[in-house]
Amino acid sequence: MPPREGTYGLLAEFETPSDLVRAARQAREDGWRRLDCYSPYPLEEAAEAIGFHRNKVPLITLIGGLMGVAAMFLLETWISTLAYPVNIAGRPLYSWPAFIVPAYEWTILWAGLSAAFGMLALNGLPALYHPLFNAPNFRDGATTDKFFLCLEALDPKFDLIEARKYLEGLDPVSVVEVEY
Amino acid sequence: MAHGTHAKTLPADLSAPAFVDAWQRRALIIGAVFSIIAVVLAFLGQAQDGLGWMHFLRAWLHGLMMTFGFAVGGLAVLMLQYCSGGKWGLLLRRPLEAMSRTLPLVFLYWIPLAFTQGKLFMWANHGIVDQDFSLGLITREQVEAIDHCIAWKHAMLNPTMFVVVSVLCFLIWGWYTWRLTSLGLKRDSDSPANTPWWIKKMENISGPGLVVYSLTMTAAAIYWVMSLDVTWYSSVYGLLYLVGQGYLVLAFSIIIAIRLAQGEPFKTILRQTEQHDLGKMTFAFVMLNIYLAFAQFLIIWSGNLPEEINWYLDRIHGHWGVIITLDFLFHWLIPFTLLLSRDIKRNKKRLVRVCQWMIFARAFDLFWLIEPNFKDAARNLHFSWGILEYAALPVAMIAFWFAFFCNRLKTRPLVQINDPHTAEILEPEHATA
Repeated sequence: MPPREGTYGLLAEFETPSDLVRAARQAREDGWRRLDCYSPYPLEEAAEAIGFHRNKVPLITLIGGLMGVAAMFLLETWISTLAYPVNIAGRPLYSWPAFIVPAYEWTILWAGLSAAFGMLALNGLPALYHPLFNAPNFRDGATTDKFFLCLEALDPKFDLIEARKYLEGLDPVSVVEVEY
Repeated sequence: MAHGTHAKTLPADLSAPAFVDAWQRRALIIGAVFSIIAVVLAFLGQAQDGLGWMHFLRAWLHGLMMTFGFAVGGLAVLMLQYCSGGKWGLLLRRPLEAMSRTLPLVFLYWIPLAFTQGKLFMWANHGIVDQDFSLGLITREQVEAIDHCIAWKHAMLNPTMFVVVSVLCFLIWGWYTWRLTSLGLKRDSDSPANTPWWIKKMENISGPGLVVYSLTMTAAAIYWVMSLDVTWYSSVYGLLYLVGQGYLVLAFSIIIAIRLAQGEPFKTILRQTEQHDLGKMTFAFVMLNIYLAFAQFLIIWSGNLPEEINWYLDRIHGHWGVIITLDFLFHWLIPFTLLLSRDIKRNKKRLVRVCQWMIFARAFDLFWLIEPNFKDAARNLHFSWGILEYAALPVAMIAFWFAFFCNRLKTRPLVQINDPHTAEILEPEHATA
């Protein structure tokens, strides 16, 4: 893919999470769709404010867990009844209580791995480059104490002059243009 | 979701909302109705198989264990939140205090048990063994095993020790309840500057209190329930009841917090964050509960020793297998799968439904633990009017307990003021990490 050029978006900086949530909610209400919030810690309300939709990680985790439990339980059943039938203290070959613990462990293991890798697969991490880090205030503050709202240039409503005016109306600390 | 840039303020009146009176009235009516049903069932059962009043007593024990779970479990969670801190603790503090302050009623419920030991416990009255043998419910070998165990455990299992240990336990729980709840009020009337001292003080009482609780709890579970079967023993038994109490108390607290939030002051302080946190903690107890229950089963199943395995066989054979399967579905699978969902944990109405279900499931589990101890029911689940007592008498006892709980709830403000969490819980949800 050739390198993208031009404006990635406009980045507004806010001092407090409340300001960010208020601004994000306003922007969403005013019809902005290609926008994102950045904060040093997870902000449930900010995600809701920009219309965060559900992702498929829970489903992947569930499927992973079910696959784990089925795989281990069937493996143990196969080993104990067909592959190596051994009489242990006169118990039936299919002694399911003994299979529960490994099957449970595999449920957790597979669910955990599915959640971690499913999350990475769906969110595009690890990313080696992101244009927002071109903005010095983002670089310095996004992971410590600053809150950001970015209107992306891909939004059909985006116009450099109009968007800047709009963001400044939301009362931010600063608005900077971010290049690809 | 409510959102504001500024923190909310507590209403001036922090006392329980007026609808708690309505709860209390409704509970008293339910209690009265079910008491009548319980007495009718006892007469019907007596006429049917002569066990009507026996079942009444067994169901009484069931009701005692449920209300004991609410009261002393409430005390334990109260101590837990003083040690762990957290805004969920501030939210639940007064409801938990009210739960622990119902202990006198639980003691009243216990008194009939002290006088009817000879009807329930083989070690208190050898006539039960003789009768079961003459009815052909147990074999000669079983009688020998029982006699051996009664003689061996006599120093611990005798009517005097039963009363002494139980009363001692009640005194200890009573002391902790009195100490923690009276200091809780004193703390609010003190100057806010002393709050750090109070936090340490509460912590220092609660920490050792939790250890004492687990020991006394275990003693009570052994004396009141486990010793119904003199031949059996399990070292995880007390812990199983302990986790069961956590399960019960958290489910009940969530219901109370959400229902109280229909009015002030809980409307102001109940945030979705804490509701979600409580849901997660309840989920952990659902896991821990099945973990211990299954661990005990797996160990005894692996050992397959004649001294131990009979306890499970009594509870699996003769149609009890249906009950244990349902028990597994009711008290683990259903709450587990429902509480996995984040949406349910954050939805007031649905979370309340799950929690109500959990209280029922705990009662169902206790039924499975208690009834098969008696030789007429061991490996022989059969319908009788008497067995319906379990659905009548405990309901009445819990209803009366609940009415008393409402009464306790009304006696003090519902929010603790002198706590750093009070300011935090009034802030908008996104304000803290």
